[in-house]
Amino acid sequence: MARNTVTPSEKQISEQETHDVPGSLARSGNQNNLRNIGLIIEREFKNRVSQRSFKISTAIILILIVIASFIPTIVAYISSVTNSQTKVVVVNNAGTIAGMNNVALEQYFNTALNGATNGQSASSKPAYKITMLTTDSTDNLQKQVKDGTTGVLLVIERTSGQDMQFTYYTNTSSFGDSNQSTVQDVASQLSILDRASRLGLTPTQTSQLFAQPQFSVVNVGQSQNNRSTSDIVAGYILAYAGIILIFMSVYLYGVTVANGVAEEKGSRIMEILVNAATPFQLMAGKIIGIGAAGLAQMTAFVVVGVSALLIQNPIKAALIGNNSAALNLNITGSSITLLLLLLVYFILGFLLYATLFAAMGALVKRQDEVQNAIQPLTWLFMVGYIVSFFGIYNSDATWVKIISYIPFWTPTTMLMRIGTGSATWWEILMTIVIMIISIYVCAIFAARIYRYGVLMYGQKPSMSQLFKIARMN
Amino acid sequence: MGLMVEHVDKSFGQLHVIKDLSMEVKEGSIFGFLGANGAGKTTTMRMILDILRPDSGSITWNGKDMREIPRHNLGYLPEERGLYPKVEVQEQLLFLARLNGLTKTEALAHLDEWLERFEIPQYRKMKVEELSKGNQQKIQFLATILHDPIILIMDEPFSGLDPVNANLLKEAFLEMHRRGKTIIFSTHQLEQVEELCEDVVIIDKGQTIIKGSVREVKRQQGRNVARLKLDNDPEALWLDSLPGVKVTKRRQDYIEMNIPSNLNPNLIVEEALRHGAIISRFELAEPSLTDIFIERVGRTTLQDVSPAIATQAGGMK
Repeated sequence: MARNTVTPSEKQISEQETHDVPGSLARSGNQNNLRNIGLIIEREFKNRVSQRSFKISTAIILILIVIASFIPTIVAYISSVTNSQTKVVVVNNAGTIAGMNNVALEQYFNTALNGATNGQSASSKPAYKITMLTTDSTDNLQKQVKDGTTGVLLVIERTSGQDMQFTYYTNTSSFGDSNQSTVQDVASQLSILDRASRLGLTPTQTSQLFAQPQFSVVNVGQSQNNRSTSDIVAGYILAYAGIILIFMSVYLYGVTVANGVAEEKGSRIMEILVNAATPFQLMAGKIIGIGAAGLAQMTAFVVVGVSALLIQNPIKAALIGNNSAALNLNITGSSITLLLLLLVYFILGFLLYATLFAAMGALVKRQDEVQNAIQPLTWLFMVGYIVSFFGIYNSDATWVKIISYIPFWTPTTMLMRIGTGSATWWEILMTIVIMIISIYVCAIFAARIYRYGVLMYGQKPSMSQLFKIARMN
Repeated sequence: MGLMVEHVDKSFGQLHVIKDLSMEVKEGSIFGFLGANGAGKTTTMRMILDILRPDSGSITWNGKDMREIPRHNLGYLPEERGLYPKVEVQEQLLFLARLNGLTKTEALAHLDEWLERFEIPQYRKMKVEELSKGNQQKIQFLATILHDPIILIMDEPFSGLDPVNANLLKEAFLEMHRRGKTIIFSTHQLEQVEELCEDVVIIDKGQTIIKGSVREVKRQQGRNVARLKLDNDPEALWLDSLPGVKVTKRRQDYIEMNIPSNLNPNLIVEEALRHGAIISRFELAEPSLTDIFIERVGRTTLQDVSPAIATQAGGMK
């Protein structure tokens, strides 16, 4: 038998070597905690960003962001070049209206429909082209409306000394016709002017009659008094965007963590990994690595999105001209604070949920069971999300305040409260402290479940068993 | 000293998996850990690795509790192979080696050496899922030993390997042995145990049933095996009436029988000649581990063993 392939001399050598073993055992303790976590973070991050699906989805979203930010400019450009003029034919069979003859009326309609500036820039045309006529037979004109050469036909009639009657002819269904309301507004204005003039008021008196009153708003709420209106609006918008962003990204990356754990379990590499690193190191490394990849992705979105918006004004100016309505992207001090807090709450929220997602991922047998296992967490997170939206117009309510202190709901709810200006600085500080403590507690809890779960391929434990596992060490 | 497993008990809920299990693995030896499927081998290995904790009893390495042994001194090859399927060979082996305390340069040097030895340097940049099963197995073995552990624990390292690759792996075993590593492995191919191991333990239903050196285990059986071939009488039915002789197999090429160690084998030859037989083969042998295993672990597990053997036969094609 070949059992003695190892010659005696070789055995002696091996025995000599083994004398070193106790020394080599003592050589390293458990101080390689950070080194291991670092290695795992590196692997997770690289693995994530080098995945084809990650690259493709990032690229697609970036392209969509750029396209979305260009849409207003493109629409404005297209409408300025193409002939989208609506031909309006006004048939006046009512004689003088509000003291105006046909020439003055045409001027009036032109101003009322196309706006005061009357779009004199070289490249843009007025939206409506007005033709005034006086004729009894409108059949021919109606035919023009039908075949599309005339957009709108408006016939004004009057039984002598009475109010005017307007008849509006169109080829489009009233549902999709935006011209109708515009023309109707002008018609009612004209009608009022006409009545006023018949009552004997001068045009000046009439315009005085309709002048806007002075109406100013003073908000005496304690936290609002040092915020300008534009800041408050920006706060609301950022809060909305931030809540959605936090909800989507924390959930998305949290599920990625759960899937990653389940995948390692499914491919059984976990059995080798737990021999090389502690469950806590594995969990922490995975969470931070995936979190970093997520943060990198989000940063790319924000940077590309903001830059794309910032170059819209110069592009618009070059294409259409200066007088087009400029998109005002105002980054003021308070929105920067809000953005920073968005980052803080994203990181805290992600860490809190990711530890729990990791624990859930460790409890499933195969990857396709992940969706079911994380369901309770999904609902838990959803509550905070919904509260943030319901509470946005009610952000001073006590129940909203209470909910914003519960760590699972803090990220979205506090962001909403900060955005609407109902949170004080010490509340922000306190919720951050509460969240850090909760993350610590959840991490310990999750690490124990993780340790128990990563090599368990049997029945899923019940809730009470889970708590038992979490309590013991 | 070496590795001492003493009076270890382990239950999972109602299931008493390991009952008062003791074994000793000498430092620097190759140790065969045998048992039918479900006998508790994997559980015991996981307890040695401190992935599971025994309910009672102790596991020590040179007198030190296993929990105090730094992890990188252990190399584990799990029964269900585990690697990242979509990651390149080099990348994941370097990651695992570094996680076990090697620097990147050291890890790379070891990797180069072993890829050469296994004749697979061309797979370095390939993803694991793209490799054949045998090559995946080699990579798995590299993941176990690359960080130069002193104790290797391998669950079924030979399963699924063709004879060429099995031989390569055997060579690697002996190389690790030469380097003074302690190797504990389980297998269903008992010829490999006879070939490689000094000591074995056979467990059944969580209990040790046989332990000691391979030679001792065979001698302890108190019997030998005789093989006889008669040209003119292939059945040799008269053998059944010989006291002490127990025919175990009647094959086309020979008849195999167990004889007590105190029986003089000449008796069989004399009896054959008396029946006028022409003897073309007669040999005496120690019982093989396979025989002992089947005899001791029993018929129930035989069914469990056969699929593993079948897999092996499949791998040989």
